[in-house]
Amino acid sequence: MVDRISALDGHYQSGRFGTDGDTGVCLQLIRDLQLQQVAAWPDTIKKTADAAAKAAGADEAPAPGGAINCEHGAILRIEPLKWWLVGADALQIDPELGATLDLSHSRTQIRITGPKSTTLLNRLLPLDLRNANFREGVVASSAMHHVGVTLWRSTAGYELFIPRGFALSLWEVLFESALQFGVEVV
Amino acid sequence: MSARRLPSGGRIDRSQVLRFTWDDRVMSGHPGDSLASALMANGEQVLGRSFKYHRPRGVMSAGVEESGAMVTVGEGARRDPNVKAPMQELFNGLTATGQNAWPNVRFDFGEVNDMLGRFLVAGFYYKTFMGIPPFEWGKGTGAWMWYEKFIRKAAGMGSASREADPDQYEQGHDFCDLLVVGSGPAGMSSALAAAEAGLDVMLVEQDWELGGSFLSQTGSESKNRCADMVASLNNAGVRTMLRTTAFGLYDYGVAGLLERVTDHLQSPDPYQPRQRFWTVRAKQTILASGALERHIAFGNNDRPGVMNAAAGRAYVNRYGVLPGERVIVATNNDSAYHSAIDLASAGAEVTLLDARSTLPGELSERIGEAGVSLRTNTVPLKTKGRLSVNGLELAVISVNGWRARGAESCDAVLVSGGWSPVVNLMSHRGVKPKWDAENACFLAPSRHETIQMAGSAAGYWRAADCELSGIAAGSVAASALGKKAKSLVLPPIGGWDLAIKPVYEVKVPGKKLKCLVDPQHDVTAEDIRLAHREGFVSAEHLKRYTTLGMATDGGKMGNVIGLALMAEALGREIPEVGTTTFRPPYTPVSIGALRGRSVDEHFRPLRRTPMHDWNLSNGATMTMAGLWHRPWYFARQSETISEAYVRETETTRKTVGLCDVTSLGKIAVQGPDATEFLNRIYTNPFAKLPIGKARYGIMLRDDGFVMDDGTTWRLSETEYFMTTTTAHAGKVMVWLEELLQTRWQDLKVHVTSVSEQWAGCAVAGPESRKVLATCVEDASVMDNDAFPFMGVVETKLKGGIPCRIARISFSGELAYETYVPSDYAVAMMDLLWPQAEQSGGCLYGLEALGAMRIEKGHVTGAELDGRVTIEDAGLGKMASPKKSFIGSALRNRPDMTREDRPKLVGIFPKDRSQTFNAGAILCSVEQVSGLGEGWITGVTHSPVMGHWIGIGFISGGHEAWAERTAIAADPVRKGNTEVEIVSPHMYDPSGEKMYG
Repeated sequence: MVDRISALDGHYQSGRFGTDGDTGVCLQLIRDLQLQQVAAWPDTIKKTADAAAKAAGADEAPAPGGAINCEHGAILRIEPLKWWLVGADALQIDPELGATLDLSHSRTQIRITGPKSTTLLNRLLPLDLRNANFREGVVASSAMHHVGVTLWRSTAGYELFIPRGFALSLWEVLFESALQFGVEVV
Repeated sequence: MSARRLPSGGRIDRSQVLRFTWDDRVMSGHPGDSLASALMANGEQVLGRSFKYHRPRGVMSAGVEESGAMVTVGEGARRDPNVKAPMQELFNGLTATGQNAWPNVRFDFGEVNDMLGRFLVAGFYYKTFMGIPPFEWGKGTGAWMWYEKFIRKAAGMGSASREADPDQYEQGHDFCDLLVVGSGPAGMSSALAAAEAGLDVMLVEQDWELGGSFLSQTGSESKNRCADMVASLNNAGVRTMLRTTAFGLYDYGVAGLLERVTDHLQSPDPYQPRQRFWTVRAKQTILASGALERHIAFGNNDRPGVMNAAAGRAYVNRYGVLPGERVIVATNNDSAYHSAIDLASAGAEVTLLDARSTLPGELSERIGEAGVSLRTNTVPLKTKGRLSVNGLELAVISVNGWRARGAESCDAVLVSGGWSPVVNLMSHRGVKPKWDAENACFLAPSRHETIQMAGSAAGYWRAADCELSGIAAGSVAASALGKKAKSLVLPPIGGWDLAIKPVYEVKVPGKKLKCLVDPQHDVTAEDIRLAHREGFVSAEHLKRYTTLGMATDGGKMGNVIGLALMAEALGREIPEVGTTTFRPPYTPVSIGALRGRSVDEHFRPLRRTPMHDWNLSNGATMTMAGLWHRPWYFARQSETISEAYVRETETTRKTVGLCDVTSLGKIAVQGPDATEFLNRIYTNPFAKLPIGKARYGIMLRDDGFVMDDGTTWRLSETEYFMTTTTAHAGKVMVWLEELLQTRWQDLKVHVTSVSEQWAGCAVAGPESRKVLATCVEDASVMDNDAFPFMGVVETKLKGGIPCRIARISFSGELAYETYVPSDYAVAMMDLLWPQAEQSGGCLYGLEALGAMRIEKGHVTGAELDGRVTIEDAGLGKMASPKKSFIGSALRNRPDMTREDRPKLVGIFPKDRSQTFNAGAILCSVEQVSGLGEGWITGVTHSPVMGHWIGIGFISGGHEAWAERTAIAADPVRKGNTEVEIVSPHMYDPSGEKMYG
């Protein structure tokens, strides 16, 4: 199998950039994203949720707006009837139970960490990211520079999923905004 | 005025000296100075010229209401005009210049306008539109067109740089439980009360220091009180934002803030934006935005040396600058007494004029102790001097108003005509402020929606009352959010010892005075009366006719006086005349801040296909298709675009061409009811589409017009892969979701955009099958019988790349659309291109793609523009008569089925050497005018036919135009061209090549 080429390849440069002093933000491209959408029908939510949770290694599927890091990856409730399995093995389910769809190439995943990561994201995202509201295990859809994105706060930090075609454009905006905090590109 | 720096005092840091330049002269100041205080300390008097009359102006205030000292800061590309000097923080290296004057503000030839003032009154501008009587009676505005440019040059403010803005700006979002606007006694106390009750509080302050009116006070008690509160705010975790103006309030607690990040720095960090535009969403808001002191309209009340009384106090106590040695303070209320006392204590000889006949008890004793001379029943009538005040004519009360009585020499006049609470932000919420006659000011309701007023913004004049109202407001906010907070009994509004005596204008019989009401726009009291005489009597008409309260002032200085004078002219009370509706922004917001980072290459988000860099490295010239960047053409050596696309078209039709078609919309349609769903949205039947086959489909809107077209591939019993046009991908996706969520909730179907998941390449031309066969792992899947026209195959490209291929053609040739997961797009091209090149093929772009589809007569978004029926597009046979589908009812309305509707046609120039343009109107030879008979949507040189061709619409279609010549009318570009109307299927109408 040939290697996958990310939307940022050729434009992604590791190193320390921006203002001197402490590094406020770390940006990291997460390569080879494995992303599968699992969708339920209104009358099969419980069964489909259980199947999705099992695939991810979770005890139960998260409620809307929730996400769970678990043994085989993570499961994110991105819509009332839809979950995303991140990094988990592909799941097959009966069409009468729901539908699965591979979206691994549709998004570019950027991990954002560091003491200024929330500040940076709020320069671009109209989401209430205060700890009390957007704690670890929360996922939300929003718009960044006019583009629909998904943000998940994982155990590692913020995970930003950008539609692949817009990924480079948004990466540039994100990177430029991060320079004022001192940024490490991992 | 002979202002000077006092030897001690103020909040400035005298241990450091800052150098700055004013009109190319080097001056000095200290950290903590504003540009205005530093210029005053350097003895500068004339700092500006007025908008229309070019009257000399000095510092008139110490805040955002400044109308005199408006200057230009910075040089070159960073030249920033109309900066209010009291709001500009001084820094080392600051460069400022006077504006709206030639050669400079101290000697300005434009001052001749002041002598012509009687001709330049309110409305003169509008009257000139009608022509100059008697020369232009009935002729309109001929002369105006000639002298408009001179007027525009003579009037105005500063000019912005013509160079591109070199600074970066950005936007930000924040959230809080409580947003407090203003950090005076009320703002700080409300923030503290709310934070101590457990709220997350943001406190925004437009100044560079917290404290508000505390900063202008003298004495250790207020200084300590301010410092204690600031420390308490920090301890309580209040998030403070300095140099940040709340410029607007919007629905649901949304506030717009402008943060000036580096405007006060000599060498800012290059990574910091100059300004930041904040959108803050607050659950509760407290407006402790203070009050602005009004002036009084008297003769030449705008002369340098005249300023409001509170400003005089601020310059003494905050900046250590004494505005004058012989100062007259004129007032109609208690507040100016403090200014008089502080100036006298600082060494000035002060005379206090009080329009009232009685005196406020304690204050009058204190001014006596401070050595201030006092005159009751006395008001200012007219200043004397030219470039600065050197005296003041006085008036005293008489039976019918005022009468002149003598003059006093002085070098500064400080005026207090009352206070106007800053209700602007509450007004943004559609609240009409109400007139409070007792305090002579407009007040907003204390609470509206989730917003409260506090402090002097709510009409409390005493600092202690302001603090109390702040604590009360903070407690209310906390209670509203479920926190425990004590409830307080508020003191009554107001709080002066002696009531204000309303004085808006001073005039005496027989004396003509130039009394400025709105100094920033040179609106005089006489202009208000002229507006009344000419019938502009409502507040809104008054504003527009006289320009009162326009420009950056936004009605801060003159609106109340203007309303009062209009009320007097009408013989009514002020509230009967109306109120001004304040609108955002409270103070100006730069275009740069509004744009944020959406500039240059980020003006719009760019959408790149996964083959973007591959295309570029293979010679593509790109073009925009919506947000997408797509290859336009692939020029070889010195080819022009025309040469390139003609070659690409010829090569593709002769051998093979590859084209990046990733931008086509792609939607996964999944579920047990997917077939039924498609059958409802497409006009043609989908119920019996076999697995492994694709079908071209048209979808209509509810009103029967065509919405979009595309092919849909059946991948399994319950799964389809739909493609849409590039232009309508988003619209179709939203439409399908809406149908499923609102109309057909019973259908078990999910739709998901997979446009980003799959990268597509069209492989077109007689050699396309051969090229693909060498690239797939199992060549047998490409066999003609196994893979017929409209067939679909899911297979693998060499290297194990999963891929799905459909045999469909947009070019009219044998062709395939090949899709792989996006991260494998480059690998796919690296497989396909060497094989295509070996077959003599080419890469082709959007221009060649367009040429081939026009030859073939295929429609795109250019044709499907929302006005076209399925019959108009020549696809009527695709509308099934046997089923219902979206649009099936309304597509049969009489007007939709008229025979003479414009129908899709091909277009040839009658003289085959001629060309015509897309957008030209098709007319009959008999009537080349009006709306014509149709229009042209696309044109190209057709290599197949060897001449120019077009596609478009014309009444009745090509059958109605057989043997008739039409005119392609293009009056503003090419002129008229005779054309023939032909079938839109200009190339291979039987489709042999596609099926071959």
